[in-house]
Amino acid sequence: MAFEPAGTTTKLAITGLAKNYIIDRKPLRVLENINLEVADGEFISVVGRSGCGKSTLLRLISGLENGYSGEIRLDGEIIHAPSLDRGLVFQDPSLLPWMTVRENVAFALSNVRIAKAEKTERVAELIDLVGLKGFETAFPKELSGGMAQRAAIARALVTQPKVLLLDEPLGALDALTRVRLQNELQRIWLKHKMTVIMVTHDVEEAVYLGDRVVIMDPNPGRIRRVVDVPHPHPRDRTSPALHTIRDQVLADLTLGKI
Amino acid sequence: MRTLRLPDLRGLVLPLAALIAWDVVAHQGTAHAYVFVPLEQVAASAWESLQSGDLLNGWLASLVRTATGFVIGAALGITLGAVMATWRVADMLINPVYQALRQVPLLGFIPLISLWFGNEEPSKLLVVSLAAFYPTVLNTYEGLRGAQDRHIEVGRLFLATRWQAFRHIILPGALPAVFTGLMQATAFAWLSSIGSELFFDPGPGLGNLMLNGQAAFRMDVVLLCVILIGVTGYLSNTAITLIAGRVLRWRNVR
Repeated sequence: MAFEPAGTTTKLAITGLAKNYIIDRKPLRVLENINLEVADGEFISVVGRSGCGKSTLLRLISGLENGYSGEIRLDGEIIHAPSLDRGLVFQDPSLLPWMTVRENVAFALSNVRIAKAEKTERVAELIDLVGLKGFETAFPKELSGGMAQRAAIARALVTQPKVLLLDEPLGALDALTRVRLQNELQRIWLKHKMTVIMVTHDVEEAVYLGDRVVIMDPNPGRIRRVVDVPHPHPRDRTSPALHTIRDQVLADLTLGKI
Repeated sequence: MRTLRLPDLRGLVLPLAALIAWDVVAHQGTAHAYVFVPLEQVAASAWESLQSGDLLNGWLASLVRTATGFVIGAALGITLGAVMATWRVADMLINPVYQALRQVPLLGFIPLISLWFGNEEPSKLLVVSLAAFYPTVLNTYEGLRGAQDRHIEVGRLFLATRWQAFRHIILPGALPAVFTGLMQATAFAWLSSIGSELFFDPGPGLGNLMLNGQAAFRMDVVLLCVILIGVTGYLSNTAITLIAGRVLRWRNVR
């Protein structure tokens, strides 16, 4: 059976997390009292209206942003800066335009102390995994949006992170490419079983991929509810059970106060 | 392997048309022939000046001065632009002075330069260097400062050191702007190299040949110099464009 239940050990623990931005010298609360425990190997989807702080939450976990109160712990260690054990994929692929696909992926390994041959091997392996074989020497400008995002995913995974953070990774893609990449994400995740936290606008995508869906409210950003999606992976997109959960989440999101 | 393509000759249409029109006017009468020299006369004088070596020497003198000034000005310009872009103290100290000086037309400095450095070749070289210097500083500075946040963040994600971030993110991102500066610098350097010959003491050079031609009512010589200046400027610009195309290949792919 392809489905293995997520591990019971806590990978990522967020407790009492709050974050302010200073705007016009006044503090603006963007996240308030966020509590979330993510198990090893779990796939968490985060949905919510714009301005609910879901991207900020992801950036805090990645370490790109700092200065929060509360705690974010990965394997018990407090997070305060970027680290190679957390990979991040932005909505915009953010590939470096002057590097080829291979160079972009290899750039992630700049500060990994392994033999050069192993780096080359890992880069080739990841490019293969995301289905970009044959495009190693292409520049980002030559790639379609979907291909560029595949390259970005390969770059995030090549350091073998414990946690993969996805910030609306498929948000800018057309519907068909999005469905295809959702399946790819599921396949990659099932193969590597890393912990994933994905922020998305797309409720269907959130339910299709997530073991749990975190619904957030805006002003200030906080968790409203966490919905379990107790169905084994790989999933059937047309399953009525998934659709029921999707409708619940959607209703929950649209009924909320503005 | 690049396939060999026939050069696109459409760019020659207008210059050729202008030359034909010129020649037609030149053959309308002697009065016209003085101002609009017949082309065969220009060709004859080209041949004559080539044989005497005047033309080649003048061209070479202007070209060497331009190239030297370009290298000096561009090298110093890139250095200063980089220093200001990466070091805040330098930026605060030097940038206002640079911005103020930049507003003064190069011609405005000529009396001062001639007073301080004389009217000979060094002053001409200084003018050319300055002409190449200004645009390179500006474009290098803005290119290095203009690094995109999302690219910087990619560096942070993968724990890039300051040097790695500069070498792999900030510098390659700045190169298009640097090349824009270099292209402006080539044009300004060539322009000011010829111009400087008109303002300082006569010496070898195309500008000087033109002055002499004008004084001797030899419009054929003047026209010949104009053509040569235009062609040389065009060729140097093409050379830089080719180099830029090679270095910035990632931008031009489709």
